Amino acid sequence: MTTAGADGPATAETAGSASPDGDAEPGGAVAPPGYARRLNVVSALVTLVTGAVAAVLSWNLGVGTLAAPGAGLWPLVVGVAMVVVSALLVLRSRPRGDEEPFTKDAVTVAIAVASLLGYAVLFELVGFEVPTLALLVLWMKGLGRESWRVTAAVSVVATAVLYLLFITGLGVSLPHLIAL
Amino acid sequence: MDFLSPVMSGFGVVFQPENLLYCLLGVTLGMLVGVLPGLGPAATIAVLLPITYNIEPTAAIIMLAGIFYGAQYGGTITSVLLRLPGEASSVVTAIDGHELAKQGRAGTALGIAAIGSFIGGTVAIVALTFVAPLVAGFAIDFGPSEYTALALLGILLITTLGSGSRLKSVLMATVGLLLATVGQDPLEGAARLTFGVDPLLDGIDFVIVAMGLFGVAEILHNMESLRRPQPPAVKVDSVYPSRRDLGESKGAIARGSVLGFLLGILPGGGATMSSMVAYAVEKRAAKEPGKFGKGAVQGVAGPETANNAGATSSFIPLLTLGIPANATMAVMFGALLIQGITPGPTLVDEKPDLFWGVVNSMYVGNLLLLAMSMPLIGLFVRVLRVRAAILAPLTILITMIGVYTVRLSVFDMFLMVGLGVLGYLMKKAGFEPGPLVLAFVLGELLESSFRRSMRIFGGDLTGFLTQPITASLLALILLIVLAPWALRATRGKAPV
Repeated sequence: MTTAGADGPATAETAGSASPDGDAEPGGAVAPPGYARRLNVVSALVTLVTGAVAAVLSWNLGVGTLAAPGAGLWPLVVGVAMVVVSALLVLRSRPRGDEEPFTKDAVTVAIAVASLLGYAVLFELVGFEVPTLALLVLWMKGLGRESWRVTAAVSVVATAVLYLLFITGLGVSLPHLIAL
Repeated sequence: MDFLSPVMSGFGVVFQPENLLYCLLGVTLGMLVGVLPGLGPAATIAVLLPITYNIEPTAAIIMLAGIFYGAQYGGTITSVLLRLPGEASSVVTAIDGHELAKQGRAGTALGIAAIGSFIGGTVAIVALTFVAPLVAGFAIDFGPSEYTALALLGILLITTLGSGSRLKSVLMATVGLLLATVGQDPLEGAARLTFGVDPLLDGIDFVIVAMGLFGVAEILHNMESLRRPQPPAVKVDSVYPSRRDLGESKGAIARGSVLGFLLGILPGGGATMSSMVAYAVEKRAAKEPGKFGKGAVQGVAGPETANNAGATSSFIPLLTLGIPANATMAVMFGALLIQGITPGPTLVDEKPDLFWGVVNSMYVGNLLLLAMSMPLIGLFVRVLRVRAAILAPLTILITMIGVYTVRLSVFDMFLMVGLGVLGYLMKKAGFEPGPLVLAFVLGELLESSFRRSMRIFGGDLTGFLTQPITASLLALILLIVLAPWALRATRGKAPV
């Protein structure tokens, strides 16, 4: 185990360099160095602040003593560790090669997230059928540019299958309009 | 050979029709997941977790395990045919596998990979049968201090041996540990970091974390390339390798089986590392290393054998110590907890039917996968043509509805989408979700065993060093942390 621990990263590195280039990774555009560095600094600052807030809140919960640890001791330890590691990352923010730039494709993702939030809001209000159909149509036609024929067919069949799977098959009480 | 009788009765469990059906379902799903772009095995298992609530424990774990090792077979297909590794563990296969495909020998590559996978998987199950009870027997007397060290070691190894930057992985592990503390304190009941949100009092459910960070995040990340053109249709020649090909890969398959099994057992190891190391070993062992990268059969046989052996043996730390070795095993850990089963050293004695039922189901699963990868390969090659724009909404809906069914709670949907967005941003900024999820899973164990140890030692931190096994584990941790620096220092000074 010892040798593998010591050699592990080195071996993975050599094998990694022999692996196919970035083009094999779907959606794997690599961010330019300056951009990647900023991305790393921003991420590290976010975790640094989060860790600091968590540490303060934990302190207020009461840390107890080492012999009888209180509720706050462990989260305090974790929060402090988070701050230290974040600070290290701010200092060593060089690009690692796995940072990706936000391009106009990110708009698709934002729309997708908004539609999921909408889905959750409507789910209990109007039952699962309508939001499910709407989400399928939006994602396939609106975001995926499928033909209307494919969109209509898949949406209807998929909604029916989900109904059968969850409500009829698994007997889960989902809010729904159509009673079978 | 007394211990073999529960092993044998495990076969009785496997051959119950229901369990056979779930095994078939699992490996078929695994093959599909491996072939289809987008979701990996960890994400798929995460997405299906809510559905397993309604299935009997043994059947559920048999199915989920099938998805995991089935994906190792399926991942090969896209690696060889399109040079798009479906799974991280098939990345190195793409190098020589795709070269072979370009030479019109895609069938040979796939056939050799299937045979190697079958042998590697089967060898690993046999070895697991003998090794797992030994490890469990050794760990049975572990107390809180040993578990503190073991959980720390598990988190540390996944951050060191995983892909990506170490510093970033460690940071993600601390985030996972912090998320695990949200909710009521396990020992005293004080509300921690809940910000007054009542549904958070019970803590964040592991299912939601796994579904959000693996499932939703991966789907969102794939949305960016939703409109990429569909891959061209590919033809596959005969998958039955010639005698010469078999002769050339014999050694690679043998070495891959042993190597994969050994590396899979290590916490932080598993299929991906096994395949990479196996490729490097084959390249070094080859009589004509120049052929590597230009279509060497051994370059496919070695890694594909090793990733299956590693996938199988990575069940050992989970089932015998309760420490998941990698991200997918962390999700399996969650699946077991859902079923009310805490994996650990007592599992093999207390639930022999489940333990041996799951282990032995892998023989059947591997046999089914061999059939799917050789005579039925044409079916799965056609699946490559399914478009992401159709797949994405279907998977997200199963995920959304699935998470709702856990507690019939819309709050959980929002929480999962939130974690999904976090996972997407992490991916963009180059942070792996694996260490976070693994640390989240081990967080509670780590905290409660740490606090119990501190009580036992009366607040004296040096108490950890008085326990021989704990002290050895801690020494190992120190060694792993310091080794890279030491290596770098000596390398820097040594004249080149």
